[in-house]
Amino acid sequence: MMMRFWLKCADAWRAVRAYRLRAVFCSVSVALGVGAITIIVAATEGAYKQAYDMVDRFGPDAMLIFGESEEARATGRREKNITVEDVEALRQAFPTAYLVVPMSSRGDMIVAYGNRKHQTRLTGTTADYSRSWSWPVTEGRDLTEQDVKGLRNVALIGRTIVQELFPDEDPIGKSIFVRNLAVQVVGVLEERGSTGPGHNLDDRIVMPITTAMKKILNEKDRVQAVRMRFVDATRMEHFEAEVRAFMRKRHGLQEGQPDDFRIVSPREIVKFLVALTGSLVIFIGITGLLSLVVAGFVLANLFLLSVNERIPEIGIRRSVGARRSDILVQFLTEAVTLTALGGVLGFGIGVSGGPLLKNVAEFPMHFSWKAFAAGMIMATLVGVVFGLQPARKAAAVHPIEAVRKGS
Amino acid sequence: MSLCVLEDVRKTYVLGDVRVDVLRGVSLTIEPGEFTAVMGPSGSGKTTLMNILGCLDVPSQGRYILAGKDVTHMSDDELSRMRSEHIGFVFQSFHLLPYATALENVLLPTLYLERRLDGRRKRAMELLALVGLQDRAGFKPSQLSGGQQQRVAIARALMNAPGLILADEPTGALDSATAKDIMNLLTDLNAQGTTVVVVTHDPEVAAYAQRIVRVRDGVVVEDSQAASAAEERPVHDDAVLA
Repeated sequence: MMMRFWLKCADAWRAVRAYRLRAVFCSVSVALGVGAITIIVAATEGAYKQAYDMVDRFGPDAMLIFGESEEARATGRREKNITVEDVEALRQAFPTAYLVVPMSSRGDMIVAYGNRKHQTRLTGTTADYSRSWSWPVTEGRDLTEQDVKGLRNVALIGRTIVQELFPDEDPIGKSIFVRNLAVQVVGVLEERGSTGPGHNLDDRIVMPITTAMKKILNEKDRVQAVRMRFVDATRMEHFEAEVRAFMRKRHGLQEGQPDDFRIVSPREIVKFLVALTGSLVIFIGITGLLSLVVAGFVLANLFLLSVNERIPEIGIRRSVGARRSDILVQFLTEAVTLTALGGVLGFGIGVSGGPLLKNVAEFPMHFSWKAFAAGMIMATLVGVVFGLQPARKAAAVHPIEAVRKGS
Repeated sequence: MSLCVLEDVRKTYVLGDVRVDVLRGVSLTIEPGEFTAVMGPSGSGKTTLMNILGCLDVPSQGRYILAGKDVTHMSDDELSRMRSEHIGFVFQSFHLLPYATALENVLLPTLYLERRLDGRRKRAMELLALVGLQDRAGFKPSQLSGGQQQRVAIARALMNAPGLILADEPTGALDSATAKDIMNLLTDLNAQGTTVVVVTHDPEVAAYAQRIVRVRDGVVVEDSQAASAAEERPVHDDAVLA
């Protein structure tokens, strides 16, 4: 039985090869559609992967409360609605949070060492920066309680600053200028890479928040954000709601008034990235499906022509004992062989075209067996659906007429 | 047991309002091992008779029994199976698959055979050798002469070891010398026990048969044992079988 199956496949393959032009048109048109499908699946997978990577970096048990309203953020207005007291109150109200860390950050910060200068982002925070961001200090030491309490002029620096200011020196213990303040480098943060265009995580300098607020940012009691980490990562939605209610109460907000702060949780990061990917997925998806439908019609038409041309062949096969179903299966096998070929070709197009898209749009791509499987399923489906009509027509040819036509 | 038994077979085609009685009561019995020629002018119904004998068509009335099985009311699939098991066709214009090699063409009937056929490739090569084309196995039909193509078709007709070879004007597309070769080949096959029915309008072709059935206007008008035919047969080239 198996043997015969392979023989019939070989038989179909001969016919596929015999009618080359038909083969090329059918498989190339299917390949274009499958290429698009492959890219969609890869993009979706890539987006999810990136989202989860980001959540991982952000901390699945973490949340960030910014002291600015949605409105202020949208209009680009600077707001700082969280006070040092708010941070202390949060710490006391949420024993389930094992970390409550205030932070203030500002871009456009010039740092200098010798005659080297670099513009970076300053983040002021409390002790245990590396624990609260799960971001190891690879050289030197982390910020300590004493650093914060004593308003010490110390800093952790990211890899980019090491490259910019200390291309061939050990930065630990060196004194650099942050604006006009002399600061000692005590530690170097592990390399993190970038999360998107213009968003290089390693380009940063971290200092005690007290030092940063008082000596650089000229800020008395307002912090930019609070980062909290909770012991139970599975109840983040619940914590988010509680923190929101708590902050609204502290800030005396009435019902109907918008929040004057903003909470960023892992859930939102995923939502944002997936939404971003979604629009492209829909666009390529429609294009891909349309081209598959077009490919299907190309296939159906070429096969109808082929059936007419091959009526004598159908007669031969019928006269040597082929049943109608044998003829049907033969033409369907040919159609599916061609579309499957197109599927493989399309996956190739997707894999080689995907990186192009990545370069243009900074789009995360992840090619896996899922993308391949999705493409092959679509290709096979096109073969069966659009090959069925011509195959049925072939099977319906009466052997007597078919035999006569060959004479 | 008779191989083919036609009992008062009638075939009527309806074309719009017109009824055409193509066969009007044909009774015929073909015994295993016979070499029969069915003769008649065009429009006599001989092609329809062949179609019915070959299970490509069924009678409108009457009965047709092939190899002990009543074919008259068989379904399309059952007819396909009868063709696969019992009939080997040889057509005027050879009817080979243009994109398949000689060997692949000979193997074609095994694709649709329900019973197992062990050593199918070996058998196909033997049959190609039998028709004198063992060194042309890998050739496509377009690389073969008409006579060679018809030999491939004959090898194909023999592939499933059918009881009956049905040849429809097998020499119609060949020059007279090649036609003689093909007829000699069929005669040899018959001598080895294969039942052969040739449908033709050509008396020279019919002369090879032991029995001649003349059809006219849908009825058998003459059924004669042409005993002398064998003696009149031209001397043939024995190399055909070598």
